[in-house]
Amino acid sequence: MTMTRLGEGARLVTTHRRGGEPVATYAYRGQLVTVPAPPAPAVPAALPLQGQDVFTLPYGPVRSGVFEAVQFVIETGGEDVSRLSTRLGFKHRGMEARLRGLDADRGAYVAERIAGIASVAYATAYAQAVERALGVEAPPRAQRWRVVYAELERIANHLDVLAKEAETAALAVATARFNIHKENVLRLQAAFTGSRFARGVIVPGGVRADGRVDLDALLRVLDAFDGDLRHDRRMFLATGSQADRLVGTGVLPRELVERFGGVGPVARGSGISTDARHERPYGDYRRLGLEVITEEAGDAMARVLVRFGELSESVRILRQAIDHLRRRNGELRVALPDASGAAYGWAEAPQGEVVVWVELDGGTIADAHFATPDTRNWALFEHAFPSDVLTDFAFIEHSFGLTPAGADR
Amino acid sequence: MLEWVYRGLRRGRVTTGYPHRDEEPFLGFRGHVDVIGDGPVSESVCPTGAITVQAGDVALDRRRCIMCGECVARYPERFAFHSTYETAEGVVRERRRSVHVRHVDAGSDGAEEWEIQALTNPYYDVQRLGIFFTASPRHADILLVTGGVTEPMREPLLRTWAVMPAPKAVVAVGTDACSGGLSGLPGVGSVLDVDVHVPGSPPSPIAILHGILLAMKGLA
Amino acid sequence: MIALVAAPLCALVSARLSGAVAALGCAGLVAVGLTAALGGAQPVLDLGSWLGFGASALRIDGLAGIFLALTGVTGCAVSVAYVERGLHRLDAALHGVLVLFVAVAIGADNGFLFFLAWEAVGVCVYLIGGYFAGGLTKLGGGALLAAIGLLYGQTHSLDVAVWAQAGAPGIVFVLLICAFATKVGLVPLHGALPAGYGSARGLGAASLSVALCAGYYGLWRFVFSLRAPVWIGDLLLIAGAITAFLGILYAITRDDLRRFLGFSTVEHAGIAAVALGVGVLGQAAGNRTLAAAGLLAATLHVVAHGVAKTLALIAVDRVDGATGERGLDRLGGLGRVLPVEAGALGVASLTLAAVPPLGGFVSEWFVFEALLQGFRLPGLLSRLLCALAAAALALTAGLGLLAFAKLFGFSFLGPPRTLLARRRLARPASLVTLGTLGLVLGALAPWEIHVLGSGLSGLLGFDPARAAITHPLTLGPVFRNFSVLAPTWLALVLPAFALLAAAFAGRRPVRRAPVWVTGSDAPLALVQYRPSAYSNPMRVVLRGLLGFRRSVVDGRELQTTIVLVTDRFVYRPATRLALGASALVRRTQSGSLSTYLTYMLAVLVLVLVLVPALN
Repeated sequence: MTMTRLGEGARLVTTHRRGGEPVATYAYRGQLVTVPAPPAPAVPAALPLQGQDVFTLPYGPVRSGVFEAVQFVIETGGEDVSRLSTRLGFKHRGMEARLRGLDADRGAYVAERIAGIASVAYATAYAQAVERALGVEAPPRAQRWRVVYAELERIANHLDVLAKEAETAALAVATARFNIHKENVLRLQAAFTGSRFARGVIVPGGVRADGRVDLDALLRVLDAFDGDLRHDRRMFLATGSQADRLVGTGVLPRELVERFGGVGPVARGSGISTDARHERPYGDYRRLGLEVITEEAGDAMARVLVRFGELSESVRILRQAIDHLRRRNGELRVALPDASGAAYGWAEAPQGEVVVWVELDGGTIADAHFATPDTRNWALFEHAFPSDVLTDFAFIEHSFGLTPAGADR
Repeated sequence: MLEWVYRGLRRGRVTTGYPHRDEEPFLGFRGHVDVIGDGPVSESVCPTGAITVQAGDVALDRRRCIMCGECVARYPERFAFHSTYETAEGVVRERRRSVHVRHVDAGSDGAEEWEIQALTNPYYDVQRLGIFFTASPRHADILLVTGGVTEPMREPLLRTWAVMPAPKAVVAVGTDACSGGLSGLPGVGSVLDVDVHVPGSPPSPIAILHGILLAMKGLA
Repeated sequence: MIALVAAPLCALVSARLSGAVAALGCAGLVAVGLTAALGGAQPVLDLGSWLGFGASALRIDGLAGIFLALTGVTGCAVSVAYVERGLHRLDAALHGVLVLFVAVAIGADNGFLFFLAWEAVGVCVYLIGGYFAGGLTKLGGGALLAAIGLLYGQTHSLDVAVWAQAGAPGIVFVLLICAFATKVGLVPLHGALPAGYGSARGLGAASLSVALCAGYYGLWRFVFSLRAPVWIGDLLLIAGAITAFLGILYAITRDDLRRFLGFSTVEHAGIAAVALGVGVLGQAAGNRTLAAAGLLAATLHVVAHGVAKTLALIAVDRVDGATGERGLDRLGGLGRVLPVEAGALGVASLTLAAVPPLGGFVSEWFVFEALLQGFRLPGLLSRLLCALAAAALALTAGLGLLAFAKLFGFSFLGPPRTLLARRRLARPASLVTLGTLGLVLGALAPWEIHVLGSGLSGLLGFDPARAAITHPLTLGPVFRNFSVLAPTWLALVLPAFALLAAAFAGRRPVRRAPVWVTGSDAPLALVQYRPSAYSNPMRVVLRGLLGFRRSVVDGRELQTTIVLVTDRFVYRPATRLALGASALVRRTQSGSLSTYLTYMLAVLVLVLVLVPALN
C-alpha cells in the first residue's frame, strides 16, 4: 500500500480494485474520497541484519499460548529486539471471494466471521454498505440495537486486552476479575441474541429480532459493572509492577502513526483523535453524544488508558441507548429491494475503523472489499520496538489488541 | 498487593461444578439443532449446506452447522434448538492423570481462541480438572485445532502433530475446524485424524471442555 | 638428566624429533622432581662461580621438586603433542628452550641466576607470543631486578637461603609480586596472558602455559619464604579476588578460544593468589597450621589448573588444526567428528569449572576451607578480607560454570553452524594420557597431597599431609575436625549412581522428531543461539565493568563493542603516556650532526666537572 498524503488531514484507508481499476480511498474531512491509485512503488525486501552477535528467532506461526497464527521474525543479539518483522498471511481464507455470488442477507454470515472477535462491527459496516448501495435505511430501533451490541462488543474486547496485560504482568487477581467481567458481557450478549458474539442478528435492513433480556435488569448489571470497573481501574493503575511494565514500552510517535494511517486505540494513544463514530457518524451515533478519548504519550500505558476511558464511555452510551429502547417501540427490519448499486459502509470496531465496499447486482453480491483496522495497525507493530527487550513483546502486542484474522481475511 | 488478595476473596466462588454436577445452561444458550419432525424442507435454507434430504429423510450434519437459526426460523416444526448441557459421563471417575493441551490456529476467525482462553477464567477453571495449556508440543497430550486449514498452515500443523509424543489425540474446535464451515477451507479431518469434533461457531467453553474430557477418556 | 633437557635445543632437525627428545627430557624432570618432593635424593648441580656473581648451583629441594614435576608433566604432554602435529620447527625448538629455562629458574639458588633464567623465559615468551606479551614481561623483569637489587643492598649476598634468613622491607615484596604477576596474570598486569595466548601460533599457547610454573614458583619461593608482612597478605587477597572475578568475566565475553583460555588462566591465578594470601597471613600471625592450609590449597590449585589448562590448550590446537577455525562463533557440532578432543576439553572444562569429583573441585574446596579459617586471624581487616574474598570466589565459580558451558557447548554440541573442513590428524596420545590424568586427579587427591605435603614441609616446618589426610582416602583442611571431603569415594559413587539410574530406567520405545521451531520451517543451524547471545545477560547486567555498547548502524548492521575496565583505565592511559613520552624524546633525535656533537660536548663537560667533585 502507498503511504501518500492527499493534503492536510487526509488519511489513507485502503487501496483496492473497482471495476478492475486500482483505486485508493482516503478519509478526508469527514468523507470518504476515492481517487485512482498510482501503482505502488516496489519496496525492496529488507536484508537480514549483519553482525557477529545477531541471530534470527522465528516466533510463530504456532506461538506459545492460545493465540492466533502469525509469525514474527525477531533479529536480536540476545535480549533487545534489534529488528522485528511481522509476517501475516498464514490465515488468508479468501473470505472476500466467498462473498461473491451470495445473497445480501446471507452475506452477513460471512461478513461476521472475517474477524470473529469484532463480529458486530464488521456486520454493521457490511449491512450499512448494502443499505447505502440499495438506498434504504434501517429503522431507528434496529439502529439502536446495533449500537447496544457494538458497545457490548467494545467492552468485551477492551476487557480482553486488560486481562491479557494483567496476565502478562502476573497479576492473578486482576486477570481473573477482568476475565469474569468479560465472561459476564459475553453471556449478556448470548442472553440478548442467542450467540455469545452477537452473531446472526445484524442483517442488511435492520436486526432480526428484539433482544430477549429485560432492559431494567440490564441497567442494574451495567451499574454494578461500572462500580466494579472504577475500583479495578484504580487498583490496576496503582499497582507498581504493572504500571512499570507499561509506561515507556512500545512508544509510537505521532508522525509515524499518521504516516501509516493508523486507526483505533493505537492511534488515539498517540494523540490522534480518529474515531469513525465521531468523524463520519453512522447509525444511531448521529443522535448519541460521544467523546473521543485520546492520550499523548504513545506508549502501552497510553493505549491502556484510552481503553479504560472508552469502557466508561461505552457504559454511558449503553445507558442512553437502553433508555431510548425502553421508551419506544418500532420496526426492526426493512425489506431489501432487488436492485443494484455500490457503496461504502463503515463502523468503529474495537480495533479501529473498518470500511466495507460492496457492489450489488440484483440482490447478490458482485464484489466486496473489507478495509480492516488490523491491516493498517499491524504495519505499525514492528516500529513499536525502538528500545525494548524481548520480554516487553507480550505487553506491546496485547496493548495493540489486534487480530491477524482481520488482517489476513 | 494485599488489596488485590482482599478483592479477590470478596468476590467469592464463581466456578461451575461441571462436570461433577449438571450445569444450568446460561440464558440464550444454543446447544445444537435437532431434527424433530419430517417433512419437505429445502436444502438451500442452510448457508453451509448441513441439511441433506434423501428420500424424504432430513439429515443434519452437526459438523457443518453454525447455529445461525435459519432452519429453525423457517421450519419451526421440523428443527429446534436443544438447549441443555450434557455431562461427559463416566469421564470424571476414570480420569487419573492430568493432560496438557496444545492449541494450533489453522485458520480460524479469532472467536474460538477467545472461547478456549475462557476455559482458564474463574467460571470454568479447567485447571481444577487437571487440564493445562502448554506452549511446547513435546509436553502435550491433546491437540486443539481451530479453524479450517489454510495452505500456509498445513505444514506447521503437521509439524506440531509430528512432535507430540504418543498417546495423543486431536480435538477439532469449531465448525470451521470440523468441516470448513463458511470459510470454504478444508476441515482438519483432511490433514489429521480427528478424535473429537466440537461444532459451533464458536462453541461455548462448556462444549469445548466436554470435548477435551471426551478426548481424555479416549487417551486413558 | 638435565642434560637431556638441553638436547632439544640442538634438535632443530625436525619438529617431531625435537618434540620426542623434549618429551624424554621432561620425563626425566618428572622423575627428579617427584623424588625430591617425596624427600628422597635432592640433587645439586654446582655451576661454580662462572657467572661472576658468587657461587651458584641448581639445587632441587622439596618445593622446587613439586614445581619441577609439574613442569615436567605439562611440558611432556606438550612435547608429545608437537610430535603428533609435526609442525612449526621454530615453535618446537622454542618449547624445548622454554622448558629448559623454566627448569633452571626453578632450580636456581642464586638470585642472579634466577633472574637470568627468568629473562630467558621472557625472551621465549616474546618470541612465541608477540610483542604485547613480551612488553609486560619486560616490565616484570625490571621489577624483579629492582627487588633483587634491594635485597642485595640489604644482605650483600645473592644467595636465596641467606635472603630467607633475613627479613625484607615491604617495598621488596610489592616489586616481587609485580614481577610474578606479569607472568602469572594478576590484574592489572594480566595483559600478557590473553594477548600471548591469542597471538601464539599452533601449540605456542600450550608452551606458554608451561611457563606459568616459573611464575608460581617465584611467588612461593620469594614471597612466602621471605616472610612477608600482614599487609602483603591482605594485598594478595584483594588482588586475587579482583583478578578472579574480572578474569572469568572477561573470559565470558571472548570469542577466540585461546584468548578465552588466557583469561581463564588469569582467573585461576587469582584464586591461587587468594589461597597464597591466606598462607602469608597465617605465617605472619605465627599460625603454622593456617599457613599450611593456605599454601597447600594454593599448590593443589596450581597443579590442577596446570594439568587442565595444558589439556585444554592442546585440545583447542587440535580443533584448530582439524577445522582451521580459531573462533567460537563458527564452530559447532564437532562432538561426533572429534570425540577425543571433545572428551579432553570436557574433562578440562569440568576441572576448571570446579565440578565434582574432579581435581578442580578438590582444590577449590581446599581454597574455600582455607578462607573459612579466616576467623583465626588476629586482625579485623584480614578477617573481613577473607570473607569478602570467599564471596568473590563463590561468584567466580558460578561464572566459571557459565563460561565453560558456553565453551564446550558451542564447540562440540548441537548441529554445526557452518560447514567446516575436516582434516585428519594423528592419534591423540597426548590428549588421552593427560586427559586420563585430569580425570583421576580428584580421585588420586590423597596421594597427591602426600607428595605436596612432603614437598612443602621445608617451607612450613612440618608436613601438612599428615594433618590433611585424616582417614585413608578422607581429606580435611589442615585443621582437624573442621570439615571433611572424600574425593576418591565421590569418584566411585557418582558414576555408580548414574549406572544404577540407567539400569532402573527401563526400556521405552523412542521416536525421534525434529527440533521444535514454533512450527516454522527455519533450519535449526540458522536460528540457534549464538555464543555471544548465550553470555548476553552477563554482558547486559555488568555493562559498566565491560563498557558494553550495542547499536544498529545504518539500519543494517549490529555493532557491539566491549572495552574492558583494565584496558580503559590502565593500559590505554599507560600506552598514551608511553607514546607521549617517546614522542617527546624523539624530538632530541633531530638527525642533525651538529646537535649530536653538542650533546657529546655537554656530556663531556658534565663528566669533567662532576667526577672530581664526587671524589
